Amino acid sequence: MYQALLTRRYLTHKIMPLLSAGAVMLCVLMVLVVWSVMGGFLDMLLRSGRTLMGDVSVTWPTVGFAHADDLIDRLERDPAVHAATPIIETFGIIHLPDGRASGVWISGIEPSSYSDVTGYASALWWKKLDEPLPRDTGRDDWRLGDPDDMPGFWDQVYRQGLSLTKPDPETGEPRPAAVLGIEVTDFNVREPGGWYTPGQWSIRTESGMRTASQGHFILAHSVTLSVLPLSQGGRAVDLVSRSFPVANELKTGVFEMDQRRVLVPLATLQQMLKMDAAERVETDPDHLAVVIDPETGAERFEPARVVARVPARVTGVLVRAVEGVAPERLKERVREVYAGFAADHRGEVPRSAGVQTWKENQATMVAAVEKETILVLFILGVISVVASALILAIFWSMVNEKTKDIGVLRALGASRAGIAWLWLRYGLVIGLIGSVLGVGLATLMVWYINPIHDWLGRALGVQVWNPEIYYFTLIPNEVDPRHALLVFGCGVFFSVAGALLPAVRAANMDPVRALRFE
Amino acid sequence: MSGAVPLLAADRVYKTYRLGRVDVPVLRGASLEVHEGQWVAVLGSSGSGKSTLLHLLGGLDRPDGPERACRAPASGVPVAPAANPGQGVVFRGEPLGTWSETRLDRYRSVSVGFVFQFYHLLPELDVVENVALGAMIRHGRLGYRRRRRELRGRATGLLESFGLGHRLRHRPAELSGGERQRVAIARALINDPAVLLADEPTGNLDRATGGTILDALATHHSASRRTMVLVTHDPEVAARADRVVRLEDGCVVAG
Repeated sequence: MYQALLTRRYLTHKIMPLLSAGAVMLCVLMVLVVWSVMGGFLDMLLRSGRTLMGDVSVTWPTVGFAHADDLIDRLERDPAVHAATPIIETFGIIHLPDGRASGVWISGIEPSSYSDVTGYASALWWKKLDEPLPRDTGRDDWRLGDPDDMPGFWDQVYRQGLSLTKPDPETGEPRPAAVLGIEVTDFNVREPGGWYTPGQWSIRTESGMRTASQGHFILAHSVTLSVLPLSQGGRAVDLVSRSFPVANELKTGVFEMDQRRVLVPLATLQQMLKMDAAERVETDPDHLAVVIDPETGAERFEPARVVARVPARVTGVLVRAVEGVAPERLKERVREVYAGFAADHRGEVPRSAGVQTWKENQATMVAAVEKETILVLFILGVISVVASALILAIFWSMVNEKTKDIGVLRALGASRAGIAWLWLRYGLVIGLIGSVLGVGLATLMVWYINPIHDWLGRALGVQVWNPEIYYFTLIPNEVDPRHALLVFGCGVFFSVAGALLPAVRAANMDPVRALRFE
Repeated sequence: MSGAVPLLAADRVYKTYRLGRVDVPVLRGASLEVHEGQWVAVLGSSGSGKSTLLHLLGGLDRPDGPERACRAPASGVPVAPAANPGQGVVFRGEPLGTWSETRLDRYRSVSVGFVFQFYHLLPELDVVENVALGAMIRHGRLGYRRRRRELRGRATGLLESFGLGHRLRHRPAELSGGERQRVAIARALINDPAVLLADEPTGNLDRATGGTILDALATHHSASRRTMVLVTHDPEVAARADRVVRLEDGCVVAG
């Protein structure tokens, strides 16, 4: 009872405990804000990565494997699988309208099933936007309205992105088109608010370079993609190039993808890479016969005899889990399905293709962010220990100051344990006050971190979170309740830990010496 | 010494303090008996060991073994250590030396009440809270809550009996020295202890104020017949007691 009374009175009559509570509050606030932002950043990376990769991928790079349709049928019969889609991934070269060329990763996809497995549809950048981005206070984003003379323009662009086709200007027939990562061309200017506007760049024409006065929109142009097909045996065949009109652009939020990814229709890329279905014919010259046309009398070679049909190949199949199935569990199911598939197509498909979750696939990047988060938390943990040491110092000094009181309490019959509990309780209350305030303020700060950041930018010219570096428009602004609880617990723990030594010292004081203390 | 069992006794108690590298013997086989209802004054000069004796009687400290012998002050001849060392401090026939720390805590809380020369009131608490502090310690959280009204009423009653009814909500810093000492006496009495131990209760007060404190103690003693041990260096103060015991060089030499 006396501990509660004295704790209350010490708290309301001394500045030192308020300083201690303030130190705890600042530590808790700092740890929770940084953890929320870093953890949110990692979550966004993971979510964005899954946007184009699904949950699990089955891959046999470069050469690829056949009978993907059969594998997809088998996978989609499994209750853990929501959908699966074939994909070809290859390295290529993109030739841009300004004459530059650069290396890119080219993905051949079936847009419809690809959308079922990934967040492709939502990642398409150029589409009509009903609401501006939170930081677009001036409503400057192009996507907020169709051009005056082109009603329905953004819907059309979006549909072209979804189908990976654009109408032929002469025939009107749809023809294969490409979707580029938003940063591939370097033609778009990223505004500080996080949206893009087409920038100025020069187009290489037959008569030289031409620079537009108001900027070119890449969707009005074509790019040329060059790939190097490989035979089934892995030998290089001739370089194949093809021009693609640009149907749309893509923003996943992941640097590597937005900077280096180009999507084209699967069938087109299969043709370019010689991975489409084909017939194998007799190649022995001894078996080639010359026949004479009975009507015209002309001589011609007898058509080559088809000796086998070679199925189309893909380099991978992406799989999406049904809701509630973890990627690791899906990976096990996919492994089992693939084993049956490989057994039934023995000799035609690899016995064990690479089966990986998205996180494993992007392990280097995810590990880097995870390590960074751990490093930051470690540093903050050290700061928390310093705060604990600060509480220890403050409490030590308070125990010194209250030595006589301790002697009086012992003279009145207080036990050593009672004295220890007085100081531990004091530390506990300070920890609770500091942690409650810290978690509360941190939660508010994280919730409003974007407006706060904007205000800092306007008032002080400070822009800590640069979207051009982090590739996310907004700073993550959610607090994980589990993190909040853990940080709260640590705040209380470190406070009590800081009070422990002074409490033991107080409890072990000789009451006579304490009463005589000057 | 009387034949009846004393309420509180010191039976050849020894105490040596170590100051740096030097052992300083404070009590050297001091003996004292205090019977129920007696007011005993322990008279001694500064450094004679009277406060130490009071601390030992109150269970705040434990006596040492009999390493030091008492000297008769007049002759200066050492007295040989007792062949049969004393029992130390004895309360109602039980030596405190055999008690556990928990029992000693209980003893300080229930059976004795301390009054100190410098009052030692807790500055953050008001007068009533300072007095009720002993009751809080004695009864614990639940016990105090159950009897809160009664115990606070007792604290208030004690303060009123010492003329402090108008100072209940004041803090120690707002009181005079005499008022503070009266609060300290009320605090010592809150648990109705068997013995009141007062260490130079007037030592920090002027003569007139000290007189009022002694009057208050005397009035209380007459009314309650509570056993009291008061240590002082002032023969006039000691003269107010029923019996005076002289302490010299750590030994009781008269009384």
